[in-house]
Amino acid sequence: MKYITIDLDKCVSCSNCEYACAFAQTEDFARKDSNIRVNYYPETVTSITMTCMHCTDAWCMEVCPANAISKDEATGAVVIDQDQCAGCKMCIMVCPFGNIHFNPTKLVSQKCDLCGGDPNCVKFCISGALQFEEAEELFDSKRTKLDGKLNQLILEGKIKIKGGE
Amino acid sequence: MGNERKQIKSLCRMCDDHCGINVYVDEQGQVVNIDGSNHYWNRGRLCVKGRAGVDFVNHPDRILKPLKKIDGKFVEIELEQALDEIAKKMSEITEKHGARANSIWKGEAVGFAQEEELARRFIHAIGSPNYFSNDSQCFVGRWIGYSLVAGSWMAQPDFENSRCIVLWGANPPSAHPNMTQYIMNAKEKGAKIIAIDSRLSNIARQADIFAQIRPGTDGALALGIIKILIEEKIYNQHFVEHYTTGFDKLKDYVQKFSKEFVCQETGISEDILNDIVKAIHFGKSQVVNYVGNGLEHHENGINNIRAVACIDALIASFDQKGGNFMPEGFGPSELTLYHEKPLTELEPIGADKFPVLYEYRKECHTMTAMDTIITEKPYALKSMIIIGANPVLTNPNTNKVIEALSKLELLVVRELFMTETAELADYILPAASYLERSELHYHGMHQVATLTNRIQTIEGVQDEYMFLHDLAHRLGAGEYFPWENEDRLNEWLVEPSGVTIETLKAHPEGYQYKPLQYKKWEAKEARGEKPFNTRTGKVELFSQYLEDMGYDGLPVYHSPDFIANPDSEYPYTMITGARKMIYYHSRNKNFKRFLTAVPRAELELHPYDAKNLGIADGDLVRVTSQIGSVEVHAVIKHEREIMPGIIQFTHGWKEANVNLITHDDKFDPIDGFPLMKAVKVKIEKI
Repeated sequence: MKYITIDLDKCVSCSNCEYACAFAQTEDFARKDSNIRVNYYPETVTSITMTCMHCTDAWCMEVCPANAISKDEATGAVVIDQDQCAGCKMCIMVCPFGNIHFNPTKLVSQKCDLCGGDPNCVKFCISGALQFEEAEELFDSKRTKLDGKLNQLILEGKIKIKGGE
Repeated sequence: MGNERKQIKSLCRMCDDHCGINVYVDEQGQVVNIDGSNHYWNRGRLCVKGRAGVDFVNHPDRILKPLKKIDGKFVEIELEQALDEIAKKMSEITEKHGARANSIWKGEAVGFAQEEELARRFIHAIGSPNYFSNDSQCFVGRWIGYSLVAGSWMAQPDFENSRCIVLWGANPPSAHPNMTQYIMNAKEKGAKIIAIDSRLSNIARQADIFAQIRPGTDGALALGIIKILIEEKIYNQHFVEHYTTGFDKLKDYVQKFSKEFVCQETGISEDILNDIVKAIHFGKSQVVNYVGNGLEHHENGINNIRAVACIDALIASFDQKGGNFMPEGFGPSELTLYHEKPLTELEPIGADKFPVLYEYRKECHTMTAMDTIITEKPYALKSMIIIGANPVLTNPNTNKVIEALSKLELLVVRELFMTETAELADYILPAASYLERSELHYHGMHQVATLTNRIQTIEGVQDEYMFLHDLAHRLGAGEYFPWENEDRLNEWLVEPSGVTIETLKAHPEGYQYKPLQYKKWEAKEARGEKPFNTRTGKVELFSQYLEDMGYDGLPVYHSPDFIANPDSEYPYTMITGARKMIYYHSRNKNFKRFLTAVPRAELELHPYDAKNLGIADGDLVRVTSQIGSVEVHAVIKHEREIMPGIIQFTHGWKEANVNLITHDDKFDPIDGFPLMKAVKVKIEKI
């Protein structure tokens, strides 16, 4: 399965992902309509970007009394059937990450559905902080990034490895 | 859904990043969606402004019929009538005042590579040297600054292979969104990112070093860095000895840029200064110094930029992999007539005042144009064709711009929408959007050429070529516009390049016309050619040319006026021109979705200043300079995000037009760029 991954060392909190997601929902650029959220904290100069993690054991899916939440077989996404959602907000309360929000117009819960397998937030992410990656390949990309950092520390002379320069 | 949509590839022109796009068209030929294509340049990514290009082409307010102003009101007329009347009026002006009384102004709204050259060709073809564009206050300052030192400027350096990226007054996420992914990829591979800015910008949020600098003092920082590089021998001695000139003069000059002076002048701490030098040292020659528009709008702009370029010279980062790469051109046919019909004897406007601007860029000076129209000195300027530009909002001193443009006997504006400038026009002609023309574009960083696709055509809406062709033929200059249409022109343009139109069509995501080669200065020297395209063929740390013209030969630093001559009546220093990602200068303010995202102009200020002035977040405040006042809503930033005493005022809003208070008569003496990023102002709560 492919997941949206977020590299917080690349996010410049430009909000392109939020605008793109909002556009996909409502054709408008209201950040509140977006399923992905960018929170920027100037005091620490930190961007925290989050969207649904499509948990394997999804608490939202288990708790939903209307059986409106299911796994999309093709994409693996945890999706809400808005026609079936009763608007009870149980999923919003149970999600440990706050990645489900309430749509006050349609009176239903709303969350990321991976745009059917071609997520807009990733396509419109200008920094490359968001990627849509195969779970099996995550290991590789994380290792490459970490190796790069280690390599830099060696280059800067901050750490030494036996046998190295 | 979906399967009945056709996907056509082209390039975006919602800003000047020119990203590759997939345009989705429905069965009726209507553009319904846009996303990023796998073009060399943007690799499948796009900013949302690009997607909202759908709004640009389909907007209900688009001007689709020529309009003529009769008794103060615009009425629709036929295109042929409009062209006939415009040509007649221009001929009358030529007869009475000479051809140079006519002029053209190329904007940033509609076209690609040949749009500018066609405008230049047209105006020379009809006998006038007066070509204008916004380049006399954007982009060209950097181009000239770097060209004076190294013979060229590459707006697209080799970020991705760099080990140290120094961003001087540049915020790519807002201004050149697609550069962000290159910079972040470099960061991932271990490059140091340094943001030098008065504001903690988007890119500064991911920088390893954020050097918060007082506006206009970048030259002092650059010269201070140079002093340390020389003292600590962190420079490429071989390159300096073989490929540069003026080293000893520069070395003597930088002695006064002690750490104490630099830190006091710039507001940057000694630790940060040392860290910057360390990062440059770490980068060796794989250093990108990328200069943004933040350095241009100052009275010492060119010399500050030259000082930065001198850093590149000392570390030999010119044309290096991971450095300031110098692309080779595509080599198209020459559209401009500067060899065939230079017309310099007709005194291009501003060429006497700013000869370097004219010599290097053949750019007339728009600020001087306003004075010329009003005073008719040194001669009468009576007509202007403005293509996709809105100087009423984007040039300094708006009131003078309005007075001047209103005084013209003929103002023709080619536009997609009614603008503040178009309202002053005698004729408004509908312009083709970027999806309604086929033009060439080059991405220097990858040495890639792309031919844009004409996605749709609208009857009566001409592309640039057909408009200028039709007008030139009416004015007796048809011989310069012999091609039947834009496609025939394109065939002629690519002829000398050796690349055919068919090849370009087969590569809608970019065709690399030449493999990248680094350090071409070495190869050139071996062939007995000038290694660098400067007068001496060397990198010029000292410019004899500038000294002979009466300027400083060295990149001399002068303190900005707000530091040298503080004024208690105008105690704050205003920056303007920092872009919002979603807008493109004055553009897109008529799109509803964009207004949802960013609804109005903002005055950013420090919480300390806000407290002193009794201003709360969102308050309406009055900002006053020596020439006027304007009201705007305040946004109080976090104390780290902007410096105390410094404010930033978003440009491009008619509701709060910052250019009502910017100066058109305070400028850099070399390139004539107006002072817009260190304007002395006062602020009051209303």
